[in-house]
Amino acid sequence: MAWTRAKRRWAWALALVLAALAIAVPLTVARRDEPTPSGTPVNVLLEDFKVRPDAAVVPAGTVSLRLLGHGPTAHELIVVRTDRAPDKLPLQRDGLTVNEEAPGVELVDETEGLLDIDDRQTLTLDLAAGNYVLYCNLEGHYLGGMNAALTVR
Amino acid sequence: MRRSPSAEVGAASATQRTAARGRSGIGRLVPRLPILGDLRLGRRLGWVIPVLIVLVAAIVGYNARAIAQQRGSALIVNTAARQRALVERYTKDVLLAVDGFQADPEDSAEAVRQPVDVLLDGGSVRAPQGDGSRVEIPPARDWRIRRKLEQDRHLIDELIRTGDRLLDGGRADPSYAADVTRLRVLSAQLSSVSNDAVREITQQTEASISRLVRIEIALGLLGVLAALALGLLLRRAGAEQAAQFRSLVNNSSDLITVLAPDGTIAYQSPSVQRLLGRRPADLAGTALSDLVHPDDRHDVNISLTKLAEAPEATADFGCRLQHLDGSWRHVESICTNLTDDPRVNGLVLNIRDVTEQAALRQSISDLLHNLARRSQGLVDRQLELIDELERNEVDPDRLQELFRMDHLATRMRRNVENLIVLSGVDQRRRWSESVPLRDVVEAAVAEVEDYSRVQVAGIHDLTLAGQAASDVAHLLAELVENATSFSSPTTMVKVSGGPTGNGYVLEIEDHGIGMSDADLDEANRRLAAPLAADNIAVSRMMGFHVVGRLAARHGIRVQLRHRWFGGVAALVLLPAALLGSAREHPAMAPPVPAGVMASPEPFLPDSTTASGWQPRAHLPLRPHAAPAPNRGGDTDAAAEAGEPVE
Repeated sequence: MAWTRAKRRWAWALALVLAALAIAVPLTVARRDEPTPSGTPVNVLLEDFKVRPDAAVVPAGTVSLRLLGHGPTAHELIVVRTDRAPDKLPLQRDGLTVNEEAPGVELVDETEGLLDIDDRQTLTLDLAAGNYVLYCNLEGHYLGGMNAALTVR
Repeated sequence: MRRSPSAEVGAASATQRTAARGRSGIGRLVPRLPILGDLRLGRRLGWVIPVLIVLVAAIVGYNARAIAQQRGSALIVNTAARQRALVERYTKDVLLAVDGFQADPEDSAEAVRQPVDVLLDGGSVRAPQGDGSRVEIPPARDWRIRRKLEQDRHLIDELIRTGDRLLDGGRADPSYAADVTRLRVLSAQLSSVSNDAVREITQQTEASISRLVRIEIALGLLGVLAALALGLLLRRAGAEQAAQFRSLVNNSSDLITVLAPDGTIAYQSPSVQRLLGRRPADLAGTALSDLVHPDDRHDVNISLTKLAEAPEATADFGCRLQHLDGSWRHVESICTNLTDDPRVNGLVLNIRDVTEQAALRQSISDLLHNLARRSQGLVDRQLELIDELERNEVDPDRLQELFRMDHLATRMRRNVENLIVLSGVDQRRRWSESVPLRDVVEAAVAEVEDYSRVQVAGIHDLTLAGQAASDVAHLLAELVENATSFSSPTTMVKVSGGPTGNGYVLEIEDHGIGMSDADLDEANRRLAAPLAADNIAVSRMMGFHVVGRLAARHGIRVQLRHRWFGGVAALVLLPAALLGSAREHPAMAPPVPAGVMASPEPFLPDSTTASGWQPRAHLPLRPHAAPAPNRGGDTDAAAEAGEPVE
């Protein structure tokens, strides 16, 4: 009798510990899902202060820009359709950032937030044939050389 | 024969008190028992308590670390943020200097390098509160932060190189415009990199703090579990101890009774079922005295009342308790007053059944009494015979021999009577009429072998109640004989008397070697509280036990005392109730002048007193008007002699 009572108590204690773990584990081991890309994949490496796509020309249609942050600084990526040269985009008044609203420049898409070291993000775009520029518009990044051309045929 | 209820209430010594606590305090008994529960409890607490301590220490440690980390990271963020301002200042300084304005770009360049060097390699920076104190910063450890900071340093180098170029070349330099743009771009990049580093540092700090918080919550949960386990263990150990204590109490042959201050039974241990055939529940709330034999009730009540007035004190008493079937059980009780202990709040009685011992004692007493009675009868007959011979003897030498025989037989009879007294059977002869005190004293002296050494002086003209006469004579005879035997044959023993406020004192003084203080104390103790004959201790100082018992019968007090010039004085205080006077005013009666004992005649002029009371001894050269009476309880012989018998 005494033993079964003691056992029951220990069972209670064990149940309490398990309950505590059941609450704690999901809190610590939460994972993010990554969507599976589709369309023509283009790997784009973002680093200080370069944008390096692994293809300069892609066929028109769905293009998946698979972005990988390489740091050390966090970057964004903006895609515009323009016929200007990649390093000749119109600037804002501060002379340091690109003015996306200027004539001859059409904003296509941009990243959500910044990509830090080893961050990945995929921009899935429906691109018509034309010239596109990929660049980072953080202060000084564009002028520092963070731009690249992408031609869609 | 039951032992008379005797109470020894008093300020118990410290050791007695401790013993009493361990013995009869229910509340105090529990933690003292080295029972199994204690050991198990100790073993389990052995790990629960350290676990609890470690958990608490871990929580405190993590807290301290979290706080330190937060403070450190605030400092680092502050340092990183300051760098931005320094970069802007440097850029401005360079441009101003190139345009010919007063500025110190070299100084600014030094300042701009410092924060990133400190953040990367560790070092001291000015405290953010700006009081001039410096704070140590550890080198950054995280590789992401290090990479960002290294980029920062790289850009700063380039910034300063560009600045130097501008300062060297001035406006005239063909690359001036490009360098100015480059300077501004670098400045903007630095600003972005610094922001990034600050963001990273802040994020990591937040992450590590939230990790710490989670660990603390987990530790706290574990602490709660440990505390719960501790509580359960303690409760179980307490329950085990209580169960063990209950089974000890239930299976003990002794009774444990707790009396409430009003004398009713507040708690009764179940062993009462065995001893008295009663159920504990039936006894709760009833008065203990209802169970006590009517003859003992008074003494028990006195003992308990006295005890109730002295907290922490202990008392013993014996009494008889009634079994459910009507029989009486002899018990001895040790009781302790624990009214001051809130856990008990009453008198704790530890009651032991001594019925068998009582029966044994009774049979020993009966045996002693029986043997003594037979011997007494024989000695009496022997005395009668000697008396007869004395009466008819004319040869003085033979008469002298007969007198010696007479004395020896008288002493034998006293010894036998001592046994009867000690056996406890109260079977003595009572004289209805009072007897002159002087006669009683002289009769006692006559019983002693060395009567010629005894000097009786100054006894007042008083009478002694008849029922006490023979016992007082016996008592005095014992004391006088003691005095003569323990003093030199050449010295005298003096018996004198004098009135006191509450009676009359007889004093028996000797010139002997005296007694040691210890012996005197022992003797006085025996005189005050005599023991029964079956008690082993009686064999020493038997005479004092006899005196004590005889004195107790009549409320007489006897005490031994050192005389300052050597020897011992025995004081016998006869209470006023036993005394009377032929002349109505006993205290006023003048003392009779001291008699000289060298000659026997003067101290016993007449053998028979007016009251009809006759002395115990046959004195030499004394006319025998009547046969010597039998006293000391031989009622048959006394009845034959036509003496008044009670």
